[in-house]
Amino acid sequence: MAERKKKDRDFEKLADSVKLTKPGATRAPARLKARVYSALMLAEAAHGKLRDMAETKKAGRELCAFEELVRMAPVNRKLKSANICRLCHARVLAEMLEKPPIYWPHCPYAEFKKG
Amino acid sequence: MTAPGTRPEPEPDPLLPARPAREQDERLADAVLARDRKATAEFVARYTDRIYSYICSCLAPNTGHAEDLVQEVFLAAWKGLSSFQGESTLEAWLLGIARHKIQDYYRVRLREPEPLDDDFAEREEIILMPEQERQMDERRMRERTLRVLAELPEQYRLVLQWRYWEKCPALEMAERTGKSEKAIERLLARARDQFRRKWQDG
Repeated sequence: MAERKKKDRDFEKLADSVKLTKPGATRAPARLKARVYSALMLAEAAHGKLRDMAETKKAGRELCAFEELVRMAPVNRKLKSANICRLCHARVLAEMLEKPPIYWPHCPYAEFKKG
Repeated sequence: MTAPGTRPEPEPDPLLPARPAREQDERLADAVLARDRKATAEFVARYTDRIYSYICSCLAPNTGHAEDLVQEVFLAAWKGLSSFQGESTLEAWLLGIARHKIQDYYRVRLREPEPLDDDFAEREEIILMPEQERQMDERRMRERTLRVLAELPEQYRLVLQWRYWEKCPALEMAERTGKSEKAIERLLARARDQFRRKWQDG
């Protein structure tokens, strides 16, 4: 029992003195953030309608150019709540590339690559 | 001194996050629960680095499953977000979920049959860190530890990380894996022995 505790203590000391990751936080890859966001949007959309574009804007959050177009267009409410990122090439690029060539403002996928 | 007619400010609870941070967290959680796409993007942007960093530290040196686990943490968080009461920061709450995911990961892998190690006899002497190795700089110690861990069979590596880096008691590991405490102690002894051998060889 005492011997086992001693062996435990050796390894406890080692674990206390050696952190297995480099000091400082490890940055997550941008494409991981894109994948996580896409997965969450799918889960949220499966659970019910997403908050529509107008309400999102009213809550003080900026829309990307495409979302803004959908917000202003004379289309039904269902489309204004749709997960339109699903149809956007920015999502596909961001899920596959660490630095996707997408630059328009307020696109979450473009924001993720900034870190 | 409190002005007449006003209530004295209550002493802040040191265990609770500061009020502005708590309010910010609760607002963000509410917006995500309302399925606000931009709030969801903020949620991901704000916390993915921290969760990824934590998961990598638990899986290092083999971080191949880290990205899948991060995604599982966020999906579990979305499912359970309505239970978030602001009793801790959102980051601490997410780290709690990540910790459970890591324990599940260890548990599933430790349930698999143990690797064969016929010439096992745990060494009596303490050979882990002679004085000169203690003085090794932190970076070299870390590299050596990672290399030795990477060379171990997966079960040995995970059982050591769970027990010593995650500080999980052997009894709790036994309960979670459905093994006896003796079986876990045996597995730990084999893992420690192989670690020591490889440490000496290196």
